[in-house]
Amino acid sequence: MADAILTMEEIEKSFPGVHALDHVHFDVRRGEVHALMGENGAGKSTLMKVLTGIYTKDYGTITYEGKEVSFNNTREAQDAGIVIVHQELNMIGDLTVAQNIFIGREFMKGFKIDDKKMIEESKKLFDELKIDINPRDKMSDLTVGKQQMCEIAKAISHQAKVIIFDEPSAALTEKEIEDLFTIIRDLREKGMAIVYISHRMDEIKVITDRVTVMRDGGYVGTLITKDCTKEDIINMMVGRVIYEDPKTESKVPKDAPVVLKVEHLNAGRMVQDVSFELRKGEILGFSGLMGAGRTETARALFGADPKTSGDIYINGEKVTINSPQDAVKHGIGYLSEDRKRYGIVVQKTITENSTMATLEKYMSGIFINKSEEKKITEHYIEELATKTPSADQLVVNLSGGNQQKVVIAKWLVRDCDILIFDEPTRGIDVGAKNEIYKLMNRLASEGKSIIMISSEMTEILRMSDRIVVMCEGKKTGELDISEATQEKIMNKATRDIA
Amino acid sequence: MTKKKSIITDQRFIVLLVIIALVVIYMIFSPEFRQYSSILSMLDFSYYDILMAIGVTFPLITAGVDLSIGTGMVCYALVAGRLVRDYNCPVLVAMLICVLFGAIVGLANGTLIGVMGLPPFLATLCTCMITRGISSMVMATPWPTNKQPGGWFHSIFKLTFGTGRNALKLPVGFLVCVALVLLMEFVLNHTKFGRYTIAIGSNKEALMLSGVNVKIYHVMAYVVCGIFAGLAAIAYAAVVPTVQPGTGAGLELDAIGGVFVGGVSATGGYGSVIGTLVGVFVIVLLKTGLPYVGLQANWQQIITGIVLIGAVMIDVAKRRRMAKEQ
Amino acid sequence: MEKIKQNPFVRKVGFNRVILFCVLILMYAAFSLLVPGFFGKARIMSVMNYVYFLGFLSLGVTFVIATGGIDFSIGPVMFCCGLISGYTMMNKGAPVGVVLILSILIGFLFGVFNGYLVSYWTIPPFIVSMASMNIAKGIAAVYTKTQSVSWPLSTDPANGWFRNLVSFNGFPVGLVIFLLAAFICMVVLNNTRPGRYILCLGSNREAVRLSGVDTKKWEMLAYVICGTLVGIAAIFFVGAYTTVQPGYGDQYNNEAIAGCVMGGTSMAGGLASIGGTVIGVLIISLLQEGILALGFAKDIQLIVTGIIVIVVVYADVMARRRKN
Repeated sequence: MADAILTMEEIEKSFPGVHALDHVHFDVRRGEVHALMGENGAGKSTLMKVLTGIYTKDYGTITYEGKEVSFNNTREAQDAGIVIVHQELNMIGDLTVAQNIFIGREFMKGFKIDDKKMIEESKKLFDELKIDINPRDKMSDLTVGKQQMCEIAKAISHQAKVIIFDEPSAALTEKEIEDLFTIIRDLREKGMAIVYISHRMDEIKVITDRVTVMRDGGYVGTLITKDCTKEDIINMMVGRVIYEDPKTESKVPKDAPVVLKVEHLNAGRMVQDVSFELRKGEILGFSGLMGAGRTETARALFGADPKTSGDIYINGEKVTINSPQDAVKHGIGYLSEDRKRYGIVVQKTITENSTMATLEKYMSGIFINKSEEKKITEHYIEELATKTPSADQLVVNLSGGNQQKVVIAKWLVRDCDILIFDEPTRGIDVGAKNEIYKLMNRLASEGKSIIMISSEMTEILRMSDRIVVMCEGKKTGELDISEATQEKIMNKATRDIA
Repeated sequence: MTKKKSIITDQRFIVLLVIIALVVIYMIFSPEFRQYSSILSMLDFSYYDILMAIGVTFPLITAGVDLSIGTGMVCYALVAGRLVRDYNCPVLVAMLICVLFGAIVGLANGTLIGVMGLPPFLATLCTCMITRGISSMVMATPWPTNKQPGGWFHSIFKLTFGTGRNALKLPVGFLVCVALVLLMEFVLNHTKFGRYTIAIGSNKEALMLSGVNVKIYHVMAYVVCGIFAGLAAIAYAAVVPTVQPGTGAGLELDAIGGVFVGGVSATGGYGSVIGTLVGVFVIVLLKTGLPYVGLQANWQQIITGIVLIGAVMIDVAKRRRMAKEQ
Repeated sequence: MEKIKQNPFVRKVGFNRVILFCVLILMYAAFSLLVPGFFGKARIMSVMNYVYFLGFLSLGVTFVIATGGIDFSIGPVMFCCGLISGYTMMNKGAPVGVVLILSILIGFLFGVFNGYLVSYWTIPPFIVSMASMNIAKGIAAVYTKTQSVSWPLSTDPANGWFRNLVSFNGFPVGLVIFLLAAFICMVVLNNTRPGRYILCLGSNREAVRLSGVDTKKWEMLAYVICGTLVGIAAIFFVGAYTTVQPGYGDQYNNEAIAGCVMGGTSMAGGLASIGGTVIGVLIISLLQEGILALGFAKDIQLIVTGIIVIVVVYADVMARRRKN
């Protein structure tokens, strides 16, 4: 392509055990908005990280402005004119907008920082972008949307030629998204090349010129946006799926009692009026894209984060859950997506972790009954087939799958009836994955009720009896497994903005 | 969203009201306090606190702390005083030595914290003990008095015209302190050092990602703190007849307490040197004023401790409310 | 080297503790060689006097550091306990049995104060320490009207008996009590719920909270245990040194923290060893005695301890960095 400012060809990148990028092709032209799409884990972010020097590529070429380049860090990429506007913001809240935009490269007047000039320059930037932000305002006083605008302004002030937007709209209101689009169109007119990563199908249709779709680290294809339909893109994203014992119908009897009922749960922007029911012995899948509010729903339900309103019924009885203590008391166990931070104490032994939630049961008088404790731990090591030399092993020495089993053991020791699995197989290799699946099925058949949050479509379709789909903090659909297809789920997960 | 903050809600303004209230209360209850000489002596004993507090504002804004300023100050004053008395060192040189000594200890603190990654309270607790140990080994030392040769340095803080009871004494030290406060307020808000000091306390990661050499500025915050502890040593020598070895522990609390009262956030990232000046005055008034209303001077330590906790509690409550609103 | 590390006894005790113990022996040998007359019972008794009170301080602060916090008000609080209870006995005629309990109670109350502010108010521990250090000094000075307090000698018929807690007819009762206390602390830390939760929350607070554990309560408890032990430390301090002066006590903060961190308790929390703390305390006490015996001034102690803390904590920081 003669007019492409940036071309990436045959890009390969492997991490231990994962082939993250597999011969990926991507290019972007001056004056173009190019969408990069794909499911969670398709490799979009990895590709952009390779581009901006956060990762080094194993193979392939990057051609930028006619020359082959290879950046060692984001700063080098920045200096060359390639900047990312991150989803998470890197802002110094206590400084003003102008001070943030020029941090690390302040204008000086002798010893004095020339704040006046910085404010003027910021104003110019904002005028150019037609954004109404006072450069004197403190960063932490701005809304998330406005902070995002500041990041964009900062990016442009670097004399950027290529701007990458990584899910810029995830945190924005509709009005702010409109403003963002005006800015992007403006930048396009000025001849900038823009990469736009997003999950929102309607946005893609409105703002982009071309769409490149990735799947499982591979390149699927590139389409001209105005010539394709939403269905075309979804089909490319989901592709064909290899099912391993897919579930075709729910295994839960129709008359199984409802063990958990959540009504009108609200917690901030990410959980809006969520209601659902969970039956005895059921695996209820929670599907949706990154930032759909599934984890937030689980955490609010579990009392880990404060909720603004909502009623929770367990076995038909209304209960108050204001803290994890309350939740555990009512027999709910939560297995976090981020095991190392929220699930286990890595520097402690399997035994210590297993009885964490139930220690009061393993006491003789004021002392911990270590032999009983060990007995129950060993019981679950055997039951769950945890691979470890002994119950005294530090959890840090276990593999991801076995660490997950320790967390499961913690809640089984507690005899929880309701288990929330948040991304149960993240960071776990294929063999261990199957074991976890079998385990979940067995638990369900033994009468435990499971909520499973998963971003993997195969996992959702393989495990769930029923599927709740969420999008932007709202529940957008509920499907029985017998009627669920990838396309249907994806459709609800990428619902157009009303 | 927030345009101009109303002056009424500015913590510094509220603290100013507290100061006025304290002064009024003292004046009502104690006729002595109404005399010029009382005010003058109160100011005399405020200078070293103000100077220490100006310095320690910087580590506190980085979400660190410097516990070595109190014992450090005494140590510098002792060592330099010894040099003046026994080695004919000119007073001007002795003053420079105070500042230099302070800067060196600050550099040590900064290196331990900013480069080697020790917890700030622990690193400075150690230098606090070390400076105290050094000062214990130096004999008690009076600096030259007003009338002795070399006594000119008193005039930095108190200009005396005439002699005897009719002498006119002017607290110029206050003007010196105000000038330094304004200078450091400028440094905090309008130089790279100041800006990065705030940024370190607010979001060190983000600052690093902006390509700034964070370590240098982190160390500098402690060096500046040390330099001001050195300046405080001069002010201390000017008001304390004989500097006693092994003392100074606890003086850092007056300064640090003052900074928190002045509105520096306990988690760093926000602060102002003018606020520090106002805050320190609350502590100074409590310290020097309590005897006037019939309370033992020792009450001051208790009250300062409670004021410190109270100031930080207000900060915590403020942040909790903000978190809730979001 | 590897062979020694694999030895079952060494593995159980911990390699670092074995090394530490060797350091202790070597130090004792070195001082005995350098200072004539150092070797012998008199010196050991003198070191032991130091060990008793410092040991209790160190045991106490071990619990706090295990949560990832800090308390450097312990020295002045110990003095506050000794002063208030001593003054109550000498000037108000309270019997010694009552004031010993009073001392422990004062320590306990400071623990409650510190713990409440740190855990329920989330005020940084160093700020709380700073404040309560000065409040302790202030209260003691106000109560005693800035007078030092001398506790009764063993010859005192009514109140002198408390010194038997330190030594009875030359038998080191204090050592027995201290080792017993260390053993209890070890059991509490390793075999009871508070200990388990304190260690776990020091390692990963959020994971423990999400297991349905009331982390605030247990964190506060660590400070309360610390305070109570500080109250006991005061009894041994006056039992060995008789006189307490208002306005002092800071130097023991550093010595207690040094003993604790040297013994293998990590400043980052989650890792604590009572056995290590005991050896650490012995080393620090021996060092203080040795410095004086070598003819150095008391002030050198401050400097040496300061440097030791820096070195030990830096080693801890480096060890953690290497792990990550």
